[in-house]
Amino acid sequence: MSDGMASQVEEQAIDWMIRQRDPAFDEWQDFTAWLDLSPDHAAVYDRIASLDTDLEHLSAPAEEIAAPRSPLLASRRTWIGGAMAAMLVGAISFSLFGSDSTRIETNAGEQRSVALADGSRIEINGGTVIELDKDRPRFARLESGEAMFHVIHRAGDPFTVEAGEARLVDLGTSFNVVRRRRTLNVAVSEGLVAYNPERENLHIKAGYGIEAGAEGGRPKVQAVDPLSIGGWRKGQLVYNGASIEQVAEDLGRTAGLSIAVSPDVAALPFRGALLVSDDKQRVIDDLTSLAGIRAEKQTEGWLLTR
Amino acid sequence: MLLLHGETRLLYIAPAEGARDGRFPNRSSQKKKHRGRSDQFMNRADRESGAARGIEAVLLANRDELLRFLAVRGAGDAAEDVFQELWVNIAGSSTGPIAQPLSYLYRAANNLMLDRYRSAQAARMREQAWGEYDRDRADPSAEQSLISREELARVDDTINRLGERAAAAFRCFRLEGMSQRDIAARLGVSLSTVEADLRKVYAALARLKGQIDE
Repeated sequence: MSDGMASQVEEQAIDWMIRQRDPAFDEWQDFTAWLDLSPDHAAVYDRIASLDTDLEHLSAPAEEIAAPRSPLLASRRTWIGGAMAAMLVGAISFSLFGSDSTRIETNAGEQRSVALADGSRIEINGGTVIELDKDRPRFARLESGEAMFHVIHRAGDPFTVEAGEARLVDLGTSFNVVRRRRTLNVAVSEGLVAYNPERENLHIKAGYGIEAGAEGGRPKVQAVDPLSIGGWRKGQLVYNGASIEQVAEDLGRTAGLSIAVSPDVAALPFRGALLVSDDKQRVIDDLTSLAGIRAEKQTEGWLLTR
Repeated sequence: MLLLHGETRLLYIAPAEGARDGRFPNRSSQKKKHRGRSDQFMNRADRESGAARGIEAVLLANRDELLRFLAVRGAGDAAEDVFQELWVNIAGSSTGPIAQPLSYLYRAANNLMLDRYRSAQAARMREQAWGEYDRDRADPSAEQSLISREELARVDDTINRLGERAAAAFRCFRLEGMSQRDIAARLGVSLSTVEADLRKVYAALARLKGQIDE
């Protein structure tokens, strides 16, 4: 973009982009005519408009400092209504914290999103504990619960997620991690993740997931629908053979439901999709009718039995 | 939770997000649902009336014009395919009455082309970084940032260096979404000054982006 002609086209593209930000802009035929003048115009416009889109990530400095330290409870209706984008995006500023590590803890049924200094983002489901380390900006520890990681790739500086004994090393990517009581599940929606690079060194591609037992061993690899990975962010939990025990744990984390599971149904496989809503009884009814089990209302929560 | 491919039953479908400004926030995640719908679309369209039906009618009535726009906007020979995708998006979105339906459709088409460009860019960036990356599986979300946090800091720096007024005008425009007229009133300058400031900031950012990309 050094010669005069090119920069003139760039100026024109900037002009169009600025004018189009006005919701009342209606000169689309003129814009078409401009694009038609040269095939380069569309390419230059794409570059400019894409740059403008990236500026969405700019924020006023005051907003970054305002990251709340205590968990913020969002009503379930808010986030199911598709308002995830409007949800709190807490930019954790490490200088605000005394110690070198930052602990982020969410209550059951509460979701948060955290922006890291390198542009990576972690969406955190309810009932989850994550630790970040000031001295290791490309590292996160999932103590318990579930999170979706959107990692900005940096050559030679991979992002590492530690979950118990397992280490997940991103190769530039989005992936969902659940650390349950007995199992660890990783599902990759974009890019590539290495599982325990210094041991199994299993590469998980987009569209695949693994399930590893708490005691280690080679994990099972399964195909996953990339579109449904991290469905909890939209309140959708989709299963194809997970145990009732796992489903109950997920509902506790995602919806804040307190569900006990009797041993005779704990291992039953569950297939189906649940939509988390404010109507807790309805979520339970859907689960029991799909699974062919019963739920007993208790003083606090429910008990699933045959 | 591991979400498996294959047989799944959807009990309900989450409330569809409204298409603000002709943009479909959840486009990638809703694709699946739409695919099924588009097959039966013609029958459904006959039965339905109201806002959704109206916008589809406008889409079809202006098909040639929109196809020409998509072609010069960068779709070329694939304009028909993109038009189809636009149609599926429109059919699947629930919107209230739209004052300027044709403008709305142009904007949606323009955003769709930008999403395609950004997806291709994201895939290219990953591919450069990792030769072993399996391109066919790429499903980059359009919301993904193509710019890192550090680069954003350089962007901030560049804006600030253009002077207080220009930086303030730009922030009002881009971050607060104010109209140029309102910005002129707030800063107590003329409309043409605001215009010139915005052009200046964007031109500087385009130069910076050129340097970063090299």
